[in-house]
Amino acid sequence: MNFIFSAVFIAAAALLLVRDPAAFLPAMLEGAKNAVGLCVTLAAVYAVWLGILKVAEDAGILRGMARGAKPFLGKLFRTKDDAALEKIAVNVTANFLGMGGAATPAGVSAMNLLGASERARYSRAMLFVFNCAGLQMFPTTIVSLRAAAGAVSAYDIVLPVLLASLSALLFGVAAVMLVYGGKRG
Amino acid sequence: MKWTAYLLPVLFAGILLIASVRKVRVYDSFAAGAAGALPLLKNLFPYIAAILVLAELFEASGLSSALCSALAPAFSFLGIPEEIAPLVLVKPFSGSGSLSLVSEIFEMYGADSYIARCASVVYASGETIFYLSAVYFAPVSGKKPIAPVLIALAANFLAAVLGCAFCRIL
Repeated sequence: MNFIFSAVFIAAAALLLVRDPAAFLPAMLEGAKNAVGLCVTLAAVYAVWLGILKVAEDAGILRGMARGAKPFLGKLFRTKDDAALEKIAVNVTANFLGMGGAATPAGVSAMNLLGASERARYSRAMLFVFNCAGLQMFPTTIVSLRAAAGAVSAYDIVLPVLLASLSALLFGVAAVMLVYGGKRG
Repeated sequence: MKWTAYLLPVLFAGILLIASVRKVRVYDSFAAGAAGALPLLKNLFPYIAAILVLAELFEASGLSSALCSALAPAFSFLGIPEEIAPLVLVKPFSGSGSLSLVSEIFEMYGADSYIARCASVVYASGETIFYLSAVYFAPVSGKKPIAPVLIALAANFLAAVLGCAFCRIL
């Protein structure tokens, strides 16, 4: 990541020197401003979802969910940490239902908890790749956008999206197993 | 109203109902959970800022459009219409950026066109990988792993290629 950061940064700075040096600082400030705005939004989203999640956790609902999914998830993510598995179960379910707002806080605290497990590198890579595949039961945003743009058959992309995401997920899982599976990590 | 709008109120009310029946101190419990939001963001903000500053420079320098036109032939070879090449490249960086590209494509080619359907699939089957990597690997101390990011990028690209193929046959 450090290499990509420097490479893109220096290339962009060099290009801007030629094209429009005055735009350099405003562009960086704009990026930082986006980050602040995003974090304010995220703070609100996290407060709501972490609050509800804690209630669900204290009521034993998360434990119940995780118990059902544990044999499968435990094997896939190679961890025996119950607290982490609970959060992973919430993350995977919320993603599938298209509730990204609930998925991210649960996913991030799972990443935290996984740090203590002995195959942390494998488990974390798997969870990250799982989230990046974006497997969703029903792509609400894009279907609504198409319907709003006057599409006659706004739903005819649901199947291609599902198949494409599923292939991406299978590819990702296989790749993580290949890269991290052999090593103790 | 779509049925999905009913999902959350019912779900949340259900959770609170079960919690109350099981004698959970719901108010305190909610507050305890919400308390975790700001410390979490304190860890996330530096990485989000770094990534978004870089994304903005990438866009403003013209590097992203240069890369797009350089890669367009390779994309059309793989069956991705070159009109949506910018979308494929922007998607890993920015969700809002790619969404605005999608709605431009809808306007320009019509929402029922093949290109619009491909754009929809690329948008919906991909994720904002660089943003997610900043968020998910923020709690990981020390060196940030690069292999998961590469795997995710490859997986998303595969989804784009396959998605365009599926759009043609389905």
